[in-house]
Amino acid sequence: MTDPATDLATDAPPHIEVKAVILLILMTSLIVAFLLYVMYARGVFEVTQRLVLVADDSEGVIPGMDMTFAGFAVGRVRRVELAPDGKARILVDVPRKDASWLRVSSVFTIERGLVGDTKIKAYTGILTDPPLQDGATRMVLRGDTGAEIPKLVASARTLLENLEAMTRMDSSLNASLANVQAATGRLSGRYGLLGGALGGDAQASKAMLALDRVNALLASADRRVFGKSGIADDTQVAVAQLNVVLQDASASLKKLDAVLAEAQAVGKNARVATDDLTVLRAEVDSSLRKASRLLDDINRKWPFAPKSELTLP
Amino acid sequence: MRLNSFLYLKPQQWGRAVAHYGASWWRMLLLGAIALVLAFSPSTYTRAHRRATARQIYLGAWQVLPWFTALSALISLVIIRIVLVTALSYGLSRFGLEMVVRVLVLELIPLAAAMFVALRAGMAFNAAALDPLAWDRSPQAAWQLQRELAAQVSANAFAVLSLAIVSSVLVLVLAYLNVYGLSPWGLDDYTRTVGRVFEPTVAIGFGLKTLMFGLAVAVIPAAAMMEIRRFGRGAASTMQPGAVRLLFVLTVIEAASLAVKYF
Repeated sequence: MTDPATDLATDAPPHIEVKAVILLILMTSLIVAFLLYVMYARGVFEVTQRLVLVADDSEGVIPGMDMTFAGFAVGRVRRVELAPDGKARILVDVPRKDASWLRVSSVFTIERGLVGDTKIKAYTGILTDPPLQDGATRMVLRGDTGAEIPKLVASARTLLENLEAMTRMDSSLNASLANVQAATGRLSGRYGLLGGALGGDAQASKAMLALDRVNALLASADRRVFGKSGIADDTQVAVAQLNVVLQDASASLKKLDAVLAEAQAVGKNARVATDDLTVLRAEVDSSLRKASRLLDDINRKWPFAPKSELTLP
Repeated sequence: MRLNSFLYLKPQQWGRAVAHYGASWWRMLLLGAIALVLAFSPSTYTRAHRRATARQIYLGAWQVLPWFTALSALISLVIIRIVLVTALSYGLSRFGLEMVVRVLVLELIPLAAAMFVALRAGMAFNAAALDPLAWDRSPQAAWQLQRELAAQVSANAFAVLSLAIVSSVLVLVLAYLNVYGLSPWGLDDYTRTVGRVFEPTVAIGFGLKTLMFGLAVAVIPAAAMMEIRRFGRGAASTMQPGAVRLLFVLTVIEAASLAVKYF
């Protein structure tokens, strides 16, 4: 029996053991390097600080997912747990070098879109605020597209119901449209707009009849008014006579004017006379006063004059 | 023993057939255990064994590595391109990279490496089947063959591991170049994506799966070969010994790994 090892040794390629060892070392170092890279990628070697986000609902949040700030990953979810008060606690590891982006005034949100995974985002308005402390606990706001869908569906349903009510056979819109159709039908009838406005051809024909009669009436009136020996002629004669009367009246008025002028002159004279009368009256007054005084003197001097004295009781 | 051979047996022979079938699996597991024990025993590493193992590693890994790496790089490049372009056209470019890493690195590359090594090992065993030693039924010869197979087992397991890891690293580099080009500024983002994919369970699962692929590829054809040698069964078959069982086991490992990872 031949020794297989000897066989192998004879037909083996040169330096086979060295090659095998090189391959072993290469593979081992590759595996170790790969392991180290994966550990680095998982953030095993990072110096981190802890941030606790408290949310009502942690749906979609899984350990390992990123927390982003302005689109850059600044933290990684390490664990999600349920607190005794029923709130979800999301434990985030933030590398020290990225922690400077998070301040005490930072706001954290969980957003869930229709497509893709949930995102945790940090917003910092004032970068000069004090930095976030290690182990800080913050409430997280939730912006959920999925949660908006039921509301949207409810609104859409109401809208559709309204639309359905509007387009039903017995809906008011349908009735209005039917009325419009009837009106336009009447408009296109024999009497056109008149038929549409009056509500039918029968009414329109009556209106036409009335118009004819009005026309006849107008012709007859024309004849009576403007015809031969019509009212217009009589009126014209009357107007001529009135003119004569007016001329007479004008002459009478002129005469009256003269009379009035005379009266005015008389009035003026009377005023002068009245002025003189006032002077005369003053003179008469003084004469009378003098006469009265004279009579009083005579009475006093007269012995039979009754004594005019007052006796007190 | 094939499963459909039950159809050609009388019912009273079914028990014996099942016993044969079970014994065949048992011998396979036993060989795997022996190979593992031998691999971890310092006394195994005699000069002859070292040379045999070195030869197997040379045949199974060193010779194959460049070709397999080139081939897998080419196919991976096509798949990466397709996935990224499709993801971009749907506006899901941020998921494209993750999908490439998950599909190629975690699933396809280890499976392809296992298949490749299995084919290669099968050819080696077919050649061994013609070896006069294979027909020598003395206990010394059996022990000798077992030692040689043990060397082959560890070499094949190593071959699967090395092909898978080299191709995986290459695919990671290719994916980066496809997405970010030669710019180094995407490295942080890319590292984060890789970190997100390789969660602890996924990373451990990936390692275990590759290891089990290696063991399956190493042990199953070897056990089939031993069985041929011992019982002379199926030697005339043109089919590679243990091929069906190997495919079955590889599928089971892959399915189990997927089930653990995603369910």
